[in-house]
Amino acid sequence: MSPLIWSLLITSLATSTIITMSSHHWLLAWVGLELNTLSILPVIIKSHHPRATEAATKYFLIQAAAAALILLASTLNAWQTGHWSIMHTSAHTTTIITLAILLKLGIAPMHGWYPEVLQGSTMNTALIISTWQKLAPLTLLYLINNNPPTNILLLMGVISALAGGWIGLNQTQTRKIMAFSSIAHMGWLIITLNLSLHLTTTTMMIYMITTTAMFMSLNTTTTKTMTDMGMAWTQSPPLTTMMMITLMSLGGLPPLTGFTPKWLILNNLCHMNLLFPTIILAMASLPSLFFYIRLAYFTTLTTPPNTTNTHHKWRFKPPLIAGLTPATSLAALLLPLMPMMIS
Amino acid sequence: MTVVHFTTAGTFMLSITGLALHRTHLVSALLCIEGMMLALFSALAVSYQTPIHTNTSLQPIIMLALAACGAGAGLSLLVASTRTHASDHLHNLSLLKC
Repeated sequence: MSPLIWSLLITSLATSTIITMSSHHWLLAWVGLELNTLSILPVIIKSHHPRATEAATKYFLIQAAAAALILLASTLNAWQTGHWSIMHTSAHTTTIITLAILLKLGIAPMHGWYPEVLQGSTMNTALIISTWQKLAPLTLLYLINNNPPTNILLLMGVISALAGGWIGLNQTQTRKIMAFSSIAHMGWLIITLNLSLHLTTTTMMIYMITTTAMFMSLNTTTTKTMTDMGMAWTQSPPLTTMMMITLMSLGGLPPLTGFTPKWLILNNLCHMNLLFPTIILAMASLPSLFFYIRLAYFTTLTTPPNTTNTHHKWRFKPPLIAGLTPATSLAALLLPLMPMMIS
Repeated sequence: MTVVHFTTAGTFMLSITGLALHRTHLVSALLCIEGMMLALFSALAVSYQTPIHTNTSLQPIIMLALAACGAGAGLSLLVASTRTHASDHLHNLSLLKC
């Protein structure tokens, strides 16, 4: 693909998210979402592989239908109330739009497309889909938050955290595991919309940091399946140690960054006396933690039998990406900054 | 709810039901999405074209332009997936199943 077209696509990808973020009119928000879909499609389909084509087709169908549903709900809202502002949507409209946005985000009952799209795209594109593409729908969820459909958000968040952990146990391919980890994290994230928006921002930022660190590590070691992870230590032993720490951070173990959102969310839920969802959420993080630990086990804690010459792959210089070091450090060490994040 | 509102909302609902339930061909899925877009276009075009609100008359055009872009992307995806998967049946898109 020519560099001019590529830079145009990346610029359009960035701009469309910013259009959606800065819009007050529903039509402009829809334009941003549609441009977002249209500009990620060539990025997905760039490697002309059947899997890439299939992933792009599925992504297009889901996103176009969800965006059309958002525009329908806002048109209904304009019929009822007479104005198109995002801030003033009625309760019914908010419910429909929330469901459409949850479809766009890949929350659990509507999550079927998400692991397949991630599996069909390259590692960098999967990184973009699971981080940057979440921002525009989440901003809309922020903006319609004056009367949120509390029960739907809570129910779908709990279902998503449960389903992401349970289905992810069964996977052996790293991109699908990351997809289910992302589904589980999105479940935690939309529960925070009921609690406070600052908490949502914190959770989203930490989710993006840890996911970016993990995808960058997987991209550096070119790890596609779990059996590839056994070979990762021969390329760069320090990187595999950092991968293990990043995985623990994704799972939310205490001295690491990923513990921050889990701590704050469970604390807030207890303060709101929602004990049953709290218990289910805390339990639902255990299957996720199990498959993270399984990945870490294959990465660092064991050395599978290899032939002799594969042990010396570290002599070749691994292609280290520039952002890898800051991303892994942030994914490991941000927990002491928590008082600054929540105040 | 007037006849216009009922017709456009009903068209949209029929189209999205078709998209969700009738999963045989990719062409029919794309046609259902186009049906949704046309329903939205007529909803925007019919219900706001009063002489008082002249500033909303640009909305259906903007919406139709982007819907046409989406239709173009959908058709190019149809061509691409037909070339790689040998037909446009949706059950052929099963390379990435869990």
